[in-house]
Amino acid sequence: MTDSRPAMISFESVDVVYPGGVRGLADVDLRIDDGEFIVIVGLSGAGKSTLLRAVNGLVPYTSGTLTVGDEVVDPHSRRRLRRLRSRVGMIFQSFNLVSRISVLHNVLVGRSSQTPTWRSLLGWYRPEDREIAFQSLERVGIVEKAYVRASTLSGGQQQRVAIARALAQDPEVLLADEPVASLDPPTAHQVLQDLRRINRELGITTIVNLHHLDMARRYADRVIGMRGGRIVFDAPVEEADDAAVEEIYQRSLTADDVAGSVDLDRDGSDGGAPGAQDR
Amino acid sequence: MSTRVEERRTTRGEPGSQRPVRPRPSVGSYLALLAVAGVLLVLFVRTTTSTLSLSFGLFSVPLTVSIAGVLVVAVLALGWRLRTGPLLVLGVMAVIATCWWAGSGIGFTLSPLWEDLHRARPVVDGFLNPNWGFIVRVWDQWVVTIAMAVVATTVGCLIGLLLALGASPVSSPTTWTSQLIKAANSVVRSIPDIGYGLLFVAMLGGTAGGAGPMAGVLALVMFNIGIVAKLTGETIDSVDLGPVEAAAASGASLAQRNRAAVVPQILPGFFSYTLYTFELNIRASVVLGIVGAGGVGQVITVQLSHFSYSNISAIMIALVAVVLAVDYLSLTIRRRLT
Repeated sequence: MTDSRPAMISFESVDVVYPGGVRGLADVDLRIDDGEFIVIVGLSGAGKSTLLRAVNGLVPYTSGTLTVGDEVVDPHSRRRLRRLRSRVGMIFQSFNLVSRISVLHNVLVGRSSQTPTWRSLLGWYRPEDREIAFQSLERVGIVEKAYVRASTLSGGQQQRVAIARALAQDPEVLLADEPVASLDPPTAHQVLQDLRRINRELGITTIVNLHHLDMARRYADRVIGMRGGRIVFDAPVEEADDAAVEEIYQRSLTADDVAGSVDLDRDGSDGGAPGAQDR
Repeated sequence: MSTRVEERRTTRGEPGSQRPVRPRPSVGSYLALLAVAGVLLVLFVRTTTSTLSLSFGLFSVPLTVSIAGVLVVAVLALGWRLRTGPLLVLGVMAVIATCWWAGSGIGFTLSPLWEDLHRARPVVDGFLNPNWGFIVRVWDQWVVTIAMAVVATTVGCLIGLLLALGASPVSSPTTWTSQLIKAANSVVRSIPDIGYGLLFVAMLGGTAGGAGPMAGVLALVMFNIGIVAKLTGETIDSVDLGPVEAAAASGASLAQRNRAAVVPQILPGFFSYTLYTFELNIRASVVLGIVGAGGVGQVITVQLSHFSYSNISAIMIALVAVVLAVDYLSLTIRRRLT
């Protein structure tokens, strides 16, 4: 967070107004440095997802300046958006794999921006791209599933394939939009550990949206709190105590907010199958 | 505990004395319906064109009028008994009245089927004695028919797939393009296969000019484009958008996104539609042959002009067999696809 280094991502009074007139982001100023691991917390509708999607232009911002690396995000130029997106990997709550094709081909979708269109259309990828895809799968530990149909994998495995797909882009930034909300708590922790490890090993700047406060505290370098499209909290993880989070949520914490740690402890002591926690 | 069980038993004994009852529709509305029924009956009697009647010895009643009248009264009675709302009953009566109007407008009657039977005699005789040898004698025309269907299915479905990708807002470059291609598809679809047949036969010349099968193939291609673009386009509308968004987020171009995230999702549906159009093409190519596009249909036209009903009979039977075989084959393949 030193100002001497250039920022990886910077928001300067960025607004997002959706076509229906709903305000997604309101006057957001934010500076994210290279290699940071940031967790965004906030209630549903607080603007977490909008913030992430503004970074790679999936949601166009309507005013202000948004910069990724040394390039200003231009939501109106398809060509520049594609170039930007090739540098920004993204993973989703529902994994978003193509279920009918193999794991390897799902990961190869991440190589699209570096692949000539005719090769993509034929499904005939270059050997070096396949090698990159295999290395990405190795990094998340499921290289042996390369030729299996994506639909046959479990939720946790599917999310790892999605991470491999993002890694295959060789990205500078990784955006994770509620990556563990569809997973049971032990699997969720494994996926977050993977993300954390990749952040450390490859130095990829990572922004994660999370619901569970305990997971945020466990993995983040820095916690950002959002409410009503505004950033209402931004501090190193040590300062994100219960009082701070109650301020973000504007209500007292419930057991549900901190569900993560309880489940992990349970899982550690009795060796898994925490059926009661699978809501 | 035991008393509760006791209570439950006793309440179960008397069925629903306290149950809410469906409110009875107002008597006034049903009186109005009765009046409508009366008007309808008068209308039936006044407009009937049928001469058929039911005789009960001393007197006789016109057949069609009695059927329609009984239907109207039955609907009214059933509606009252089931406490149906008056609007629904009125709707059913309107349907009966519309059918009456349509049927009497075209003078619909089944009586020629038995009254003019003697005229059909030679036709029926011919059909009952099919000339089996004729099927084999025109085998080359069978080949033409099947070949037309194969070529037209392949070309038509590929073009249809491209148009479907252009037509769906999911896979189209802009909403503007999507609207335009959708409109074009509607126009293509609005002309029936026989219309295309007549058009291309007129343009290229029919069997006499040696271009019959080509005209037939072109007609079938247009017919297939319409069907496949419509069905596949609707399948694309309903694909899972998640993978499409993921591909977009990784920097894929539109073509790459469609190839990687849309096509795999719609492929089973598309193959199924392709097999379905192949079935349709076998049937349609016969009809197209009749307007001069070659194949077995052409044979039928020629035999019809010679009044060789036993030859036509054999062709018809063989056609049913071929269509059933193709049906069965495509059903088997389609089952494996999903």
